[in-house]
Amino acid sequence: MPGISYYDLRHVTGQVTHIDIDNGVVESAGTSFFNKAVLRVLKNAGWGVLQIDNYIPGNKSDFKELLEEASHLAGITGEIVTLGNAPRGVLTVPPMKEDPRNVSIEEKSSLLAGIETAATHSEVVNRRANYVERIEQVQFSDSSGNEHSFEMCRSGFNVLAVASRNGNVQMGYEREHSIHGFNLRHQQDLGRKAAEIAVALLDAKPAKGGKMHAVLDPELAGVFAHEAVGHASEGDLISEGNSVLKGRTGEKIGNEILTIVDDPGLHEFGFDPVDAEGSAVHRTEIIRKGIVNEFLHSRESLARVGNGVAGHARAMPGEPPLVRMSNTFIEAGDATEDEIFEECKNGIFLKGSRGGQVDPGRGIFQFNAEYGYLIENGERKAMVRDVSLSGEILTTLHGIVLCGNDRRMSPGYCGKGGQSVPVSDGAPHVLLLDAVVGGSGVD
Amino acid sequence: MRWWVAVAWIDELIGEGVKSVDEVEVFYVVGRSVSADLKQKKINLATTSVDCGLGIRTIHKGRIGSSSTNDPGGWKECLQAAIASGRLATPQAWGGLPDPHPHTTSPLSYDSSMNVESSVAKDLLEQMLSGAEEHTAEVTSGSAALSTATVTLANSRGIRYTDRHTGISLSLEAIHNQSTGYEFDHGCFSDQVDPVAVGEKATFFAHESAGGKDIETGDYEIVLSPLAYAELLGGVFVPALNGRSVHAGRSRLAESLGKEITGPQIEMYDDPLIPRANGSTRWDAEGTVARRIDFIKDGILNNFAYDLKTAYRYGKETTGNAVRGGFAGLPSIGHHNFVVDGKRDTITDEPVIYVHSVVGAHTANPMSGEFSVELSNAFHARGESFETPIRSAMLSGNVFDLHKEIVGMSKKSRAIGSMILPSIKINKQHIIGK
Repeated sequence: MPGISYYDLRHVTGQVTHIDIDNGVVESAGTSFFNKAVLRVLKNAGWGVLQIDNYIPGNKSDFKELLEEASHLAGITGEIVTLGNAPRGVLTVPPMKEDPRNVSIEEKSSLLAGIETAATHSEVVNRRANYVERIEQVQFSDSSGNEHSFEMCRSGFNVLAVASRNGNVQMGYEREHSIHGFNLRHQQDLGRKAAEIAVALLDAKPAKGGKMHAVLDPELAGVFAHEAVGHASEGDLISEGNSVLKGRTGEKIGNEILTIVDDPGLHEFGFDPVDAEGSAVHRTEIIRKGIVNEFLHSRESLARVGNGVAGHARAMPGEPPLVRMSNTFIEAGDATEDEIFEECKNGIFLKGSRGGQVDPGRGIFQFNAEYGYLIENGERKAMVRDVSLSGEILTTLHGIVLCGNDRRMSPGYCGKGGQSVPVSDGAPHVLLLDAVVGGSGVD
Repeated sequence: MRWWVAVAWIDELIGEGVKSVDEVEVFYVVGRSVSADLKQKKINLATTSVDCGLGIRTIHKGRIGSSSTNDPGGWKECLQAAIASGRLATPQAWGGLPDPHPHTTSPLSYDSSMNVESSVAKDLLEQMLSGAEEHTAEVTSGSAALSTATVTLANSRGIRYTDRHTGISLSLEAIHNQSTGYEFDHGCFSDQVDPVAVGEKATFFAHESAGGKDIETGDYEIVLSPLAYAELLGGVFVPALNGRSVHAGRSRLAESLGKEITGPQIEMYDDPLIPRANGSTRWDAEGTVARRIDFIKDGILNNFAYDLKTAYRYGKETTGNAVRGGFAGLPSIGHHNFVVDGKRDTITDEPVIYVHSVVGAHTANPMSGEFSVELSNAFHARGESFETPIRSAMLSGNVFDLHKEIVGMSKKSRAIGSMILPSIKINKQHIIGK
C-alpha cells in the first residue's frame, strides 16, 4: 500500500483458568477466553495503531481495510519514526515438567485448598489462596515477511494469611509462579510460612526511619535492581529525556562489584522466546562493574538512542509494545551471607517485597519490604514491620559494597503505560551502606 | 436500534442457560476509543481500539459460576464454561438476582456530542502543548484519549438494562533539569477538561520543583493534594470499607461500626447519582438500583459496602456497590463516586508542607495502614504561594490514624478517577529528611 513503510500484526488468543479459595470456601473457579490483536502501521511519520478485540484473520481485502484505517490514524502523527535493525530469531519455549492442562480443575482446586488449609493458626483470622493459569497462543507477522508463532503457559499461586490481635492486623504473603509447568504439588510449606510470618508480625515493632546500613535479601535486592536501575535504562524514557541515565554511558554510577543485567532469554517468569515486535531477545548488561553500559531497546528506541540492542519490546495481548524489562538481576559476587552480616555490623535486614515505584526522570525510587530484622553486632535480632527504602539512583548504587554468592530470582508483574507484564527480579544478598529507611516507629 | 433486534442472542443465551441452572446474568460491553501519544512535542502514535466483551454469571443451588470471552459469537462455549465453573464453587446462601425495577433511564455520564476521533485527540494535545509553553520545562510525553461504550446488563429475572458512557482523559509529563512534573485531567463530558491548564501545570511543577532544598527529619503540618490523598486513601482506607473484607477479617475497621474513626468533621460517602461524575450509574453491576451510601458521618463509621453475594452470605442487604473492573470475572464490591467531604476552609494560612504527589503509595500495608512514601513536587507553602521546593524526603505514617489528625479541608474538590476529594491538612506527620 502506498506510503506504508512498515506494518506488523500480533494476534494473541488464549484462556485463563483461575481458582479463588477464601477461608475454605471456593469463591470462584473456572476458565475464560480471550482473543486480541494489535496492528501497527508506519506511514509518513509515526505509528497508526489498531487494537482489535475478537480478531478473525480474514481475506486480503479485509486486511487492506484495516491497513487503511491504521494509515489514516498515522496521518495525525508528526514525529518521524525510524526502526533500527534487529536480528530475528525465536528461542524454543522450554518444555513443561507437567502441563497444567493435563490436571483436572477439581485436582487443582483440591491441591490449592491444601496450601490454604496449611495457613491455619489460632491467631490467623483469614486465609486466602489463588491459582492462575494463563495460556497464550501468539501469532506474529510483519511487512518484511517475518512470521512466527508460539505458545506459552504461565501458572502459579498466591497464599495470604491475615493474623489479628487486639485490633493489630498483619499479613503474611507467599507466591510461586512459573513457566515450567504445574506447580501446586507439595507446596503446603508456603501456606504454613505465610501464617508464621503474619503471626510473628503481630509482635514486631514498626521500623524506625533514618539513615542506616541495610542488608537486602535476594528478593528485595532484585526489586531494587528493577526499580532503581531497570526502568531508568528503558530506551523510550531515555529518548524522551525522562531518565537520569540519559547521556551517562561510560559513567561510573556504582561500586565496581555491581553488574545489573536484563535477560529475556533466561528461563525465568519473565521469559520471552522473541520480543513483541519479532526481534530476537538478548542479554543486556545495563550496569557493568558499576559503569553505565547499555540500554534496553525496541527497534524504535534503538534507532533514536543507540547503545544497546533491540529485543526488549513487550506487550499485553492487544496492546502496542513498550520497552520493558523481563528478567532483571544483580550478578552474584563472592561474599557469603555471614560475611555480609558481619560487615554490616549494625543496621537492618530487609526481607521480601511489597513492590516499589520509581520516578526515572528525577532519579528517585521507593520500595517496601514485607518485614525486616534489626542487625546488632552482625547478628539478626528483633523483627520489624512496615519498613521501606528510598533513594537517588545516581548516588545509592555506590553504597552497594558487597554482593553475595547466592543469587535467586522471584516472579512478579510490572506495570507501565497501563500494561502489566510478567517479570522476574533477582539478586544475591547485598550490603547497602547508608540506606534511607522509612518507617513510622519512634523511640 | 431496538433492544430485541440489537442483542437478540442475549435472550437466546439466557433461555439456553436456564435449562441447566437456576439463574443467568449477562454483562456485555462494546466500545470504541481513540488516543494520541506525544513523544516530547510531536505526536508519535495514534490508536483506535475496538472493544467487545461478554461476561456470564450462572447461579445454581447457591453455586456461582462465571466465564468471559471477547467473542459474543462464542457465547455457547462461554456459557458451558460458566456452568462448569459453578459446579466447583462452594454453595452459599443465595436469595436471587434482582428483579427489574422502574428507574430513570437517561445516562448520567454520557456526552452525546463527544466526537471520538483522532483529529479531536490531536487538537487536545496541541492545546496542552500551548499551555506547557507557560513555564520553562521540556515536555517528555503526553496523551489524549476519548472513549465511548455501551454497557448491557440482562438476567433471567427479566432485567434488560442498557447504559452509555463517554470518557475523555489527558496527561502530560515534563522535566526541568532533574525535576519532573505531571498533570492530568479527565471527565465524561468534553467540556469538563481543560487541556491548556494540564499543560501549564505539568511544566509549572517541573519548573517550580527544581533547585529543591533538603528538609530536617521531624513532625510537620502537611497538606496533601487530592492526588496525593487519593493514592493513600484508595489503596488502604477504601478497601477496608468493603463488607467482604470486613467479614473475612481482612479489614482494620471490622470492629469499628458505630465508633468515631476520623476527626468529627469528616464525611465519606458513595454517591452513584452525581450528574456528570465519572463513576455515575443508575444501577450497579448486578442490577441493584444504585443509591447513596454514607460510610462515615460526623466521624462515625455507619456502613460498609455490600454486593448481593456478600449480603446473602452474612445476612445483610446489598448497598448497590457491585462493580466490574471489566467484563471478565465476577462482580465485586467497590464504589461508584467515593466522596470525602466536611467543613471547608482555607488551609494554607499557616506555613505547611504541601505535597502534590507521592511515589510508592501502593506499597502501603493494606491491613495495618502503615505507609512510607517518597514525596514528589513537595513545597514549603503559605497562603496561595509555594515558597521553597523540597528536594527529597519520605513521609511515614498510618493511613487510618492520619484521619484522626485531619484539621482542615480545602474549599474546592477534585475528581481523581472515581474519587472526589479535597486537599486535606493534617497535623504532626513524620517526615524523614535526607
